Amino acid sequence: MLALQTRKLGKSFRVKRKAAGLSGSFRALWKPTWETKEAVRGIDLDVRQGETVAFLGPNGAGKSTTIKMLTGILHPSYGEAEVLGLTPWKERERLAFRIGTVFGQKSQLWYHLPPIDTFELIGRIYELKRSDYGHRRDDLIERFELGPYLHTPVRKLSLGERMRCEIAASFLHRPQLLFMDEPTIGLDAVVKQRIRELIRERNREEGTTVFLTSHDAGDVESLCSRAVVIHHGGVLIDEPVERMKREVLSRKLVTLKLAEGFDAATLPDIEGACWESRGGNCRLAVDLKLTTIERVLGQLLGRVGFTDVNVEDPPLEEIIKHIYGMREGAER
Amino acid sequence: MIEESGSRWAAGRKAAAVGRIAFRHQLAYKTDFAMRGFFLLFILFVFIQLWSAAYGGDYELVISGFTLKQIVWYLVFTEALTMAAPPLCSRIEEEVKNGDVAIRLIRPQSYVGYHFSVFASEALTRFAVHLLVGSAIAWPFVGPPAFGIGWLGLLALSVGALTVTFLLLMLVGLCAFWVEETSGLYFVLQKLQFTIGGMLLPIDLMPEWLQRICAWLPFQAALYYPAKMAVHFDAALLGRQLAIQIGWIVLLALAVSQMYRRGVTKLHVNGG
Repeated sequence: MLALQTRKLGKSFRVKRKAAGLSGSFRALWKPTWETKEAVRGIDLDVRQGETVAFLGPNGAGKSTTIKMLTGILHPSYGEAEVLGLTPWKERERLAFRIGTVFGQKSQLWYHLPPIDTFELIGRIYELKRSDYGHRRDDLIERFELGPYLHTPVRKLSLGERMRCEIAASFLHRPQLLFMDEPTIGLDAVVKQRIRELIRERNREEGTTVFLTSHDAGDVESLCSRAVVIHHGGVLIDEPVERMKREVLSRKLVTLKLAEGFDAATLPDIEGACWESRGGNCRLAVDLKLTTIERVLGQLLGRVGFTDVNVEDPPLEEIIKHIYGMREGAER
Repeated sequence: MIEESGSRWAAGRKAAAVGRIAFRHQLAYKTDFAMRGFFLLFILFVFIQLWSAAYGGDYELVISGFTLKQIVWYLVFTEALTMAAPPLCSRIEEEVKNGDVAIRLIRPQSYVGYHFSVFASEALTRFAVHLLVGSAIAWPFVGPPAFGIGWLGLLALSVGALTVTFLLLMLVGLCAFWVEETSGLYFVLQKLQFTIGGMLLPIDLMPEWLQRICAWLPFQAALYYPAKMAVHFDAALLGRQLAIQIGWIVLLALAVSQMYRRGVTKLHVNGG
């Protein structure tokens, strides 16, 4: 059964163009020129119930605009969408009972009050029965380990603590479909991992469909089974994350901080990897189809003097550029 | 397990819940309360001096139906009502500019209804505080507010007055869905309330042609009616003014509803 479906869903905005300088400002007053910007152009998408979908793309690709149309916040310029059998922008309030939304850059918690007060409000707004609300709240508090800061004003919480509260609040009314827009933005690696585990657990235990946008390849790898990449407002790629991992997430970046006195010119060739930059901090791109991180680190030890090492996924922008390049190459 | 949804009772319970949390939230702004209280004291002190000079210090003199005591208390009531209104226009404008409007629209609750609950909670609290602060200065200068049943008239008309104010502010605030900048419109609205709303001067003291124009505008229902009724209670007029307030509330609510319906289709939510 489908959780959401879109057909040729698109959104365009009129943007005022203004020339630089004072004269440009005056000209825009008398004779404004408008430009139509296509934020999302004709997206076709089917998401089954219980699926975990990563909705990816570079900044300005139309990810957030799409989520806002699917949650009923924005009205599309053209096309159709059905979310849990409802048209989001026509039946926004009815749909709101059945979906949850987390915006990593916006807070739904009341700033000067402790999170427990917002939980109480959400219980009322979503018309949860009092006994059910109590059980659900206590269960989420336990699972998300919110006990220690439940009664602390939100303004005093760290970003990680706040985000755990935000996500728990979004699960309070048992949404069938959870939209998450950059839920791990700005968080450290440990908190990110914990939040991913919690979302995965909700998906597994309650069958919550997850529709997530992120710039973090780690979110995609550990949370999602399917990846949809959009670029310039249209779908560029739609395939299982496993396949995407094999094809394009097969790279890791190893950053070394060279020890004082070690000459970067003498960096050795490493099998299955190539140096992307050579300097105080040098970067080695590792192709996991040809080698393993263990082997690469083994080759580096003893041959390169370094004081620090960091292994990470390439930025998602880079991955998308890579995909885009591959597709354009194939078309030619 | 969700209770019966969409019923009027459910909407009322949600409104009450938002009102409660908004009340608790505003308690964090103690400095803001203190600053506004101080400003109110200052403004009223200036007006008491002005009107005392205009009346030549004569407490028995009656100008257009007002004694000095009545006019000073009239000002206390209009100032308390004016300053009770939270900055709704700038809030909506900010919500649109920084994209927080998205957080309001993901909830199973009316957007206008949410803002009304927050407004009502804050405005009623502020109104009560401002009445106390205003009394603290008016009482020593012109005597106690012994208006008897006039207080009932004030309270009866203040609810409608604040609702009319909310709807007027909402109309201006919703313009942010189109233009993102509403401060100019708000400036005009505020000055209209100050003048032809009867905040600075009771409408009875204005020229007759202006009084006739004011009668066709909603501003007097938001300030003049409750303040005048407090100092000059008139049972027959109370019913008429309540009916006029209800008329304006229905008319303005329809306008707000239409504007919201149109505006939400034009909305462009900023930020990720």
